[in-house]
Amino acid sequence: MKNNKIYEDLSLIQMRTQITFGIVIALFVVLLLSFWKVQILDYQKFWNKSEANRIRQMAIPPQRGLITDRNGKILVKNIASFKASFIRENCKDYDAAYERVAQLLDLDSKVVRERVDKYKSAPLFQPIVVKEDLSHDEVARIEARKHELPELIIQLEPKRNYPYGTFASHVFGYLQEISPAEMEMEQYKDRRLGDLVGKTGVEKQYEQILVGTEGRSLQIVDSMGREIEEISRTDAVRGQDVMLALDFELQTKAEEILENREGAVIVMKPDTGEILAMASFPNFNPNKFINRFSPEEWIDLMNSPEFPLENRAIRGLYSPGSIFKPTMALAGLDLNVVNEHTAFYCRGGLIVYGQPRACWRGEGHGPVNVTSAIEHSCNIYFYELGKRIRIEDISRYARMMGFGYKTHVDIPGEKVGLVPDPEWKLRVRHEPWYPGETISVAIGQGPLLVTPLQVTVHTALIANRGKGVTPSLLKADSGIPQSPSVENGDEEKPQMSIPVSAFEKVIRGMWRAVNGRGTARAAKVNQFDVCGKTGSAQVISSEAAKILAQQKREIETHSWFTGFAPRDNPEIVVTVIVEYGGGGGATAAPSARELFDLYRKKHD
Amino acid sequence: MIDQTQFRNIDWILIGLLLLNTLVGIAVIYSSAHHLPGNYHLKQLLWMVVSLIALFVFLYLDYNILVTYSLYFYILCLAILALILVFGRLIAGTKSWIRLEFFQIQPSEITKIALILLLAKIFADFKERTIPRREGVLSAILVIVPVILIALQPDLGTALSLLPILLGAFILAGMNKRTLILLLVVAVVIGAVGYGFFLKDYQRERITTLVFPEEDPLGSGYHILQSKIAVGSGGLLGKGYLKGSQSQLRFLPARHTDFIFAVVGEELGFLGVVLICILFFLLLARIFQSVNLSRDRAGIYIIFMVAVMISCQFFVNVFMTIGFFPIAGIPLPLISYGGSSLLTNYLAVSLVLNVRMRRFVNV
Repeated sequence: MKNNKIYEDLSLIQMRTQITFGIVIALFVVLLLSFWKVQILDYQKFWNKSEANRIRQMAIPPQRGLITDRNGKILVKNIASFKASFIRENCKDYDAAYERVAQLLDLDSKVVRERVDKYKSAPLFQPIVVKEDLSHDEVARIEARKHELPELIIQLEPKRNYPYGTFASHVFGYLQEISPAEMEMEQYKDRRLGDLVGKTGVEKQYEQILVGTEGRSLQIVDSMGREIEEISRTDAVRGQDVMLALDFELQTKAEEILENREGAVIVMKPDTGEILAMASFPNFNPNKFINRFSPEEWIDLMNSPEFPLENRAIRGLYSPGSIFKPTMALAGLDLNVVNEHTAFYCRGGLIVYGQPRACWRGEGHGPVNVTSAIEHSCNIYFYELGKRIRIEDISRYARMMGFGYKTHVDIPGEKVGLVPDPEWKLRVRHEPWYPGETISVAIGQGPLLVTPLQVTVHTALIANRGKGVTPSLLKADSGIPQSPSVENGDEEKPQMSIPVSAFEKVIRGMWRAVNGRGTARAAKVNQFDVCGKTGSAQVISSEAAKILAQQKREIETHSWFTGFAPRDNPEIVVTVIVEYGGGGGATAAPSARELFDLYRKKHD
Repeated sequence: MIDQTQFRNIDWILIGLLLLNTLVGIAVIYSSAHHLPGNYHLKQLLWMVVSLIALFVFLYLDYNILVTYSLYFYILCLAILALILVFGRLIAGTKSWIRLEFFQIQPSEITKIALILLLAKIFADFKERTIPRREGVLSAILVIVPVILIALQPDLGTALSLLPILLGAFILAGMNKRTLILLLVVAVVIGAVGYGFFLKDYQRERITTLVFPEEDPLGSGYHILQSKIAVGSGGLLGKGYLKGSQSQLRFLPARHTDFIFAVVGEELGFLGVVLICILFFLLLARIFQSVNLSRDRAGIYIIFMVAVMISCQFFVNVFMTIGFFPIAGIPLPLISYGGSSLLTNYLAVSLVLNVRMRRFVNV
C-alpha cells in the first residue's frame, strides 16, 4: 500500500487545474458575449427572418377511389367541397375569435369552441375544420375578410358523394371522422385526426384500397401561417376504384320490391358467389353522414326502433320456418331414414309426444313423399322426420348447409345465427333438451336463427348440388384481392356428405313448388325453370300464437322465399324476406318472381 | 465498502446541481418534443432515475479499485465496440446501439468512463513536469483505437467527443512547447487529409456551411441558419415557454437532442441562456474545485478529465447552435434528450463524488 500518498506534492497539477478552470470561465464569458451579439444586438434581423421566412409542410388529401357496379356504372364518387378551418396559432384572443367566426359562418360560438377543444392535441398550425359544405356565398364572405380573420382559412377538399342517395346504402356503408380508438390501430397508423374513414360496408372493408396516398406540399408561409409560395409539391394519388358485383338494375328492382316494408333481398350468382343485389330496408342516405358535425341525424337513426343502419341481409336474425325443410329432407335422405318412396299420411294434424301438432292445411295432404312434402310444404311429413332424426344430426346437417357459421362475405358485421343442440341449451339456458323441441326445429321453428345471406348461400349449395360458395360483393375479375372477414371457428364445420342424387330429389320438390301446384307458384317465370321454397316463420311462440288465434286476432309471420333458376346450370339465387309480410307464397314469392323475370329479360 | 464518514462526505450540493440541470433539460425537452409521439420528457425522467441509482451504486466501489481494474473494463468496451461493428443492429443509420429490454444503450458513451479510469491509472504515478514521449504515445493510442472504432460505426460526433479526455490528461501532465506544436500540426494535417479523404459528403458540407451558411438555405446550411434564427429571434426575454415559432413550427432539426439549446435561446431568450449558463457554470465550478479535495494524483486526474470532458461537450454544442462550430452531432450534456449520454455523465460525476468522499481515507 502506498501510505505516503497523503504527503504527496500535488500542487503542480492543482495549479494547472486552476488555470484550466480560468480558461473555462473565459469561455463562458465569450459564450455569453456571443449570445449577447446574436440575441440582443442582431435581434431585429433574426426576428424579421423568423417572421418572414417559414417553411411548412402541408398534407394534400387524396381522392378516394370510385365504387362502380359490375358494368362500370359509377355508384359512389367524389365532388369538390369547400371547408372552413380554424388555425389556433394565428389567433390572439380565442373568445373574440370564436365569436367572430361563429357569426360569419352562422354557427353557435359554443360549437366552434367545442370543436377546437376537441383537437387541442393536434400538431401546431394544423387547420381544424369548423364548417363544411360552404356555399359560394360563405366562401366569398370569408375571402373578403381574409385579413381581419387570419385564424380562419378556406380549404378545398374532395368530398364523398353517393349520387343515388339511399341506393345500396348498406352495401356501401358510410364515412365518418376517425375515432380516437381507431387512431391507435395499426391499419390507420398513417391517418390523422379529422380524416374521414369508412365505418361500415364496402367503404370500411376496402378502405386501404380506396383511400389513396396523401400528397405533400412544402410551402413558405408568413408569420400567420398563410401560404406565400410553394416550394415543392408531391401530388396525392387517387385511391384505386372498386368494381362491385352489383347489377344496378337488379339492385334498383330489389329496393323497389322492399320499398316501405322491413326486410331484405339478396340476388347472388351460385357459381362465383357474386352478389348482384343486396337490399335491406329501411335504409339511410350516407351523404348525410359524410360530415364531421351534427351527428344528431346519425344518432337518431342509431336509436330508431326500426334499426335503419342495420344491414338485415347479413345482420337480421330470423326463424327460417319452412325454408329449413329442404335441409331436413336432405338429412333424412342422407341418413337413410327415408327414401324417395317413403310416404307418410297427412290428416292435417298429429299428436307427437302428447302434444297436438297441426299441418298448415286443415284438411290434410293425404300421402306425401319427400318431393311432394317439399312441393306442398307439408308439416306432418317433417314432424315424422323429426321423430326419427336425433337433434344432434339435425344440427350437423344444418351446419353442413352453412347455418351457424359466417358466410365470410366481404363486408364487416356479419352475424352467425344459431343452430341449437342439447349442449347449447344446457350451456346457455341451463335446461335439458326436450324431444318436443326437436319437432319444432324439424319445421324450422324453435331457437333456430338464420340470416338472409346464410339462406342464400344454403340455396346456392343446393343449386350447385353440394358445392359451397363464398359470397362476394367484389366483381370476380375486378383485379382486387377479395378480403373476406376471415375468422377462426370454421374448422369444425362438418364435411359435405350428401350425394348429388339426394339434392336432385329435393330440387324436384322445389321445382314443383314453383311450377306445379305448390306453395311457391307465384314465383313462376315462363321458360325459366325456377326452383324455390317459401316460408312463413312464426315470430312468436306457438303457445302465444294459440292464444291470439283463440282471440281471433291476426297472427303476423315473416314471409320468406328462397330459390334459384334455371333448374339445370343455375345462374342466379334469389332470397326475399319481408318482416311481418304474412305467408311466403303470398308476399315473398311474387317479389322474387320480379327479380327472376328481370334477370331473364336482361340475359335473353 | 462505504462507511459513515464517507457517506457524510458525499457532495450533496454537486448532486443537487446535477439534478437541477437535468430537470431544466426535461422541461426544455417537453417544449421541443411534446407534439411528437414518444413522450420524450417522461422517458428522460425515467432515465434520470435510472442514472441516479447507477450513480449511487457506482459510489460503493472505491475509485482506486476501479482504477486498478480499468484495463479490463477498457478491453471489454473495445470488444463490445468491435462486436457491434460486426453484428450491431442498424439504428438511425449507425451501428452504435445495444438493445436492452426497455432501453437502448450506446456503448460508445460508456467507453468514456473506461478511458478516464485507464488514463488515470497511467498517469497516477507520474511526477515529471512534462509528459515523456512513451506515456504520451501510449495514451494517445489508447484513445485513438476506440475513436476509430466509433467513427467506423459511423458516429463521428461521439468519436471526436473522446478526444477532450486525452486533451485533459495532456494538459494536466504538462506539455512542452515541442509537444504542443506537434499536436497542433498533427491536428491540422489529420483535419486536412480527413476532409479530403475520410469525411462523408454530409460532414464536409457541414464544415463548408459553417463558413458560408447563406449559400444554400434549404440544403445543409439550413440547420445552422434555422438554429441561428431561432436563437436570434428569441431576444432578451424569449418568445415564451412552448411558444417558439421556430421550434414549434419544426424548422429546427433535432430540437430535443443536438439543437436543444436553440430552443432555450428562442423560447427563454438571452435571460434563459444566462440562467442555464449559470447553472452549468456552478456545476463545472463544483467539479473543478473538487480537485483540491483529492488525496492522490489518480483522483485529481479523474476529476480533471471529467471536468474537461463535460466542459468541451457543453461549449461545442452551445457554440454550434449559433454557428460558431460545425454541426458535430454532440448532445448538450445533461440537457439534451438521450439516455446513454445522461447515464455516462452521471457515472462521470459519480467518479468525482467517489474521489471526494474518500479523501480522508488513507489505507
